[in-house]
Amino acid sequence: MARYHFHIINGGGTSEDAEGQELPDLEAARAAAIEGVRSLVSEEARLGQIDLSGRIDIADADGNILLSVPFNDAVELRRNEQSW
Amino acid sequence: MIERHLLKLRARDTVSPEEEQAIRDSVAEVRSFRADEIVVHAGRVATYSVLLIDGILCRYKDLSDGERQITELHVPGDFADLHSFTLKRLDHSVMTLTPARAALVPHEKLEQITERFPHLTRLYWFTTNIDAAIHREWEVSLGRRSALSRVAALFCEIKVRLDIVGLTDGMSYDFNLTQTDVAECVGLTSIHVNRTLKQLREQGLVQFKGGRVTIHDWNGLARVAEFDPAYLYLEPLHL
Repeated sequence: MARYHFHIINGGGTSEDAEGQELPDLEAARAAAIEGVRSLVSEEARLGQIDLSGRIDIADADGNILLSVPFNDAVELRRNEQSW
Repeated sequence: MIERHLLKLRARDTVSPEEEQAIRDSVAEVRSFRADEIVVHAGRVATYSVLLIDGILCRYKDLSDGERQITELHVPGDFADLHSFTLKRLDHSVMTLTPARAALVPHEKLEQITERFPHLTRLYWFTTNIDAAIHREWEVSLGRRSALSRVAALFCEIKVRLDIVGLTDGMSYDFNLTQTDVAECVGLTSIHVNRTLKQLREQGLVQFKGGRVTIHDWNGLARVAEFDPAYLYLEPLHL
């Protein structure tokens, strides 16, 4: 287990994650980031405006950025397609 | 030891010296728990109810994919599972979110209270009704409130409940939960809670940092939350 911090950078500004979460490995941290983006985006969907231009920087306890997860990676958008 | 519990009861109704003694006599044991320890296991036969002395407990259910929903928080002075007296096997578990101490009250003692102290029994019935009211309020939050409003409502509720048992300094209180704990209360992710806390902070409403909640603008926070403490039944009753 290691502590990962999830800093959010998007149109709403930057949210430093001072607390972080204990997770088994970076893969689990990436999954948590994806889930987090989906949670944020679902709230935006309720309000009718979705901003996928942000990213989540996953940092270790020393503040080193280990991975950047673009919001785009968390959702698949389909538009103007008619496959039915 | 049960002083917070008496404060909670006496905020709503009188508790006679005889009733107080009956409550004190009903405690069989005081147990200490670490943080994140299960206190009541779902599905197991319960033979006692848990009266929280200090720390924070939660009622929760887990889904198979690891998702957890906390359905109510308990603050000092609360019975976490008075309903296990009649239900025997709970459909949910109870765990600690912080280190905690709790008094264990055997169900046979509760049975004696129901036989000998009808007024105290009504008062205990009332407290389980408050738990139900809290569940309804959380249901409204989870189903209909925005993320901002859910987190605001949680901070408002806990402030009022801690006020009753003398555990706030006016507009601030210890709340040693993680962002993940808060997320599990409000049906969001820890990351989403982090962003929501930033918004609440930037709007000058409330700060949650270092295990402590500091409310900067109570009226503003209550407005964002659409918080009406009526569901906590704070007025004195005559049961």
